[in-house]
Amino acid sequence: MKAVGARLPRYDGVGHVTGQTTYVDDFRVHGMLWAKALRSPVHHAAITKLDTSRAEAVPGVHAVVTHTDVPQLEYGHLSGLGIPADEPLLAKDEVRYMGQPIALVAAEDLEAATAGVAAIEIEYEERPTLWDVREAFDSDAAVVHRWGNWYPHFEDEMDRRQIRKGDIQKAFEDADHIIQGVYRPAAIEHVPMETQVSMVVPESDGRLTIHSCTQAMYFSLGVISAHLQVPLNKLKIVGGTVGGGFGGKVDTASETITALAAMKAGRPVKWRWTREEEFLASSTRAPWHMEIIDAVTSDGWILGRKMLTLHDSGAYARFSPYGLTKHSFHHTGAYTIPHLHFDGYVVFTNRVPTTAMRGFGVTSVSFAVETHMSRIVDELGLDPYEFRLKNANRIHDTSPNRISYTDPSTVDVLQSIAGATGHDLAPAYAAATREPREGEWLPDHLVDQISTEGH
Amino acid sequence: MAKHTGRGLAAIEYPSGMNQNGDPSQAWIKVKPDGRIDVFSGTSDIGNGAKTIQSQIVAESIGVPYDWVTFDNSNTDSSPVCTGTFASRATVIAGNAVLKAAEEVKTKLLEIASAEMEIGPQDLDIIDGEVQARGAPSLTMDVADVAAAATYGHGQLITGTGAELNAFAAITNSETGEVDSPPHAAISYAACAAEVEVDDETGIVRIVRMVQAYDVGKAINPTLVEGQIEGGAVMGLGLGVLEDSYPYYPSPDHRGSHFGSYFVPGMEDLPQIETIIIENPSATGPYGAKGIGEMANNSQPPAIAAAVHDAVGVWVTELPITPERVLRALDAKAAGGGQPRREGKHIVFDEELSVNSVASGISWTSDS
Repeated sequence: MKAVGARLPRYDGVGHVTGQTTYVDDFRVHGMLWAKALRSPVHHAAITKLDTSRAEAVPGVHAVVTHTDVPQLEYGHLSGLGIPADEPLLAKDEVRYMGQPIALVAAEDLEAATAGVAAIEIEYEERPTLWDVREAFDSDAAVVHRWGNWYPHFEDEMDRRQIRKGDIQKAFEDADHIIQGVYRPAAIEHVPMETQVSMVVPESDGRLTIHSCTQAMYFSLGVISAHLQVPLNKLKIVGGTVGGGFGGKVDTASETITALAAMKAGRPVKWRWTREEEFLASSTRAPWHMEIIDAVTSDGWILGRKMLTLHDSGAYARFSPYGLTKHSFHHTGAYTIPHLHFDGYVVFTNRVPTTAMRGFGVTSVSFAVETHMSRIVDELGLDPYEFRLKNANRIHDTSPNRISYTDPSTVDVLQSIAGATGHDLAPAYAAATREPREGEWLPDHLVDQISTEGH
Repeated sequence: MAKHTGRGLAAIEYPSGMNQNGDPSQAWIKVKPDGRIDVFSGTSDIGNGAKTIQSQIVAESIGVPYDWVTFDNSNTDSSPVCTGTFASRATVIAGNAVLKAAEEVKTKLLEIASAEMEIGPQDLDIIDGEVQARGAPSLTMDVADVAAAATYGHGQLITGTGAELNAFAAITNSETGEVDSPPHAAISYAACAAEVEVDDETGIVRIVRMVQAYDVGKAINPTLVEGQIEGGAVMGLGLGVLEDSYPYYPSPDHRGSHFGSYFVPGMEDLPQIETIIIENPSATGPYGAKGIGEMANNSQPPAIAAAVHDAVGVWVTELPITPERVLRALDAKAAGGGQPRREGKHIVFDEELSVNSVASGISWTSDS
């Protein structure tokens, strides 16, 4: 029988639904210690004192790990792509968000580890905070990051991601209507059933076996080896079966710190985040602030789009510069718009750092673009399907980065939904296809953007 | 006080693979002496079905039954590089890696079979675990026998390796965002029509029905595709009307710290969901596949926002569309507010949310 296209049973389905699949937390090994983290209780502060000597003396405690134990304190997941690192593995002189890890205590049981955390002597000098991304640019705003309040290291050291195409001012001049709106989707949690967890076993041959819930074993392998300053052959990640990720387990949130504790204690260590830690200290989807100004004609052509995006990164950059760039590449949605002017900023606040989540960078822009499209339909008295079909991506239309589309399906999916919901399309729209523009589908303003290069 | 029904529409697109590419996946395969297939891939399965999909691709490309394939992604010693399971890349990028490895295995199996059957390899194919001569289907040899012959007769280990890497697409102009090559492996498209019921007394928005169409290029496993689409729809519903890490954003106060104070969708929230799968193949994905794992939660929030407007005549453009936000918008509308500013050809919504209303360090207009 054919395998591709067949409704074959899920490879691991029976194990999942009968509870027999082995996840990281199902592993227990002899001599395993439990870990508990000291996390920042404040949003933004200088650390003026950090003394772990009393914690180390707590009965049952075998290791207390702080920033002094990390061979390379800062390493970013995107360092390989030239995006500089800004986040210490464990806080050193300052904390920038509530819940930021400062130390990890490994002990015979969780009670001893918790007692060890309580015995760490630490003092903070609180600093002003920043929460509203719109205020980050004000001269009197609290400064919350060593790079300033927004990321300054895009190509050519630009402090924003720009897209420019065509002539936006001409689009506004030619437009019958200029329609403006603001869109603000919320931060949400990944809510995996399996909270962040890792178990690290120091092996007799000097290697570390790292049981990990990472979504990206080799990504994490690279990050751990960089922090520990060891070659890849000293580390073995055991994983591949993840109890829910949705993007939140690309961060390598627990593995490296657990490894340091295991190395220091000379014993296997497990660090399992509580549900409360998962909700409050793990990364979230980012909140976004987006403003769109569209130049449109009365008969429903979009001539141009001007857009401003403020991406609430939280306290550190993590994947946010990547996410904003992806966002900018898709800010026309499933449509072709010839004149574009996009400015986007990655803004730092004192929130838990935001990270990748299902649809990263584009979930936000899909909400903004499509809600704005619906408003234009309503204001101009258009048909919601026909307005979208008219501006839909066609073969040889070009993206914001001037890449030609080869197999776009905006037309196909809209016609399918119209058919399934009983929405009658005018004959021209019912007959529209994804094929290259011509005739009534190729008005003057779309001629220059057509290209056959790339896909 | 009444319940109002409304409908809304959204159409979206989404890329497969990391933005700007540069994200390798690799795989290798070995064949056991009875023809059973061991696949080693570094792709984590986060519930997206990577083990299933990659096993199906291998079974199809070699020509053996699905249950002959063992999939091992358990560790970084035995499995080669996979950048990871994110960016809708597990089917398209990692799928191409196992496809290439499987093709190499098939070539080697046919070379052994050719020697055993004394028929040129170009005249042989593998169908359902059996090597068959083209045009002479009675001339056959079981793949199990081919593998045994390789092991015990020819002294060979049959393996295949595969690597997929789309070159990094560099931004060549930081002012315009132009790139030097396509910054993605493929693009998928989808649309969602949502029907909602809005209670104008409580402000509660109930999602009644969602009709969704997805271009997946090729549905490697239609059941898993439907699972992604339906599961994603419910996640999009949560994003649309329920979930918020910061209920008083931008304030950090009153965060939900447990399931009783953070609202994920439950069974009672599920709407009727109808799913349409479209197959407009990509030139790049295995068997024409495009990745849709992530975009599955992108189309619902704007379709819901439009449906709420259709139902009660207010635009809520801050997510989630909570009862509080609906009631405040209805109150504003009843007081004669909530309308855009109209000035010449300008129609300006949401001025109270704009940077212009809050900040002094940045401003935003159509002519600045």
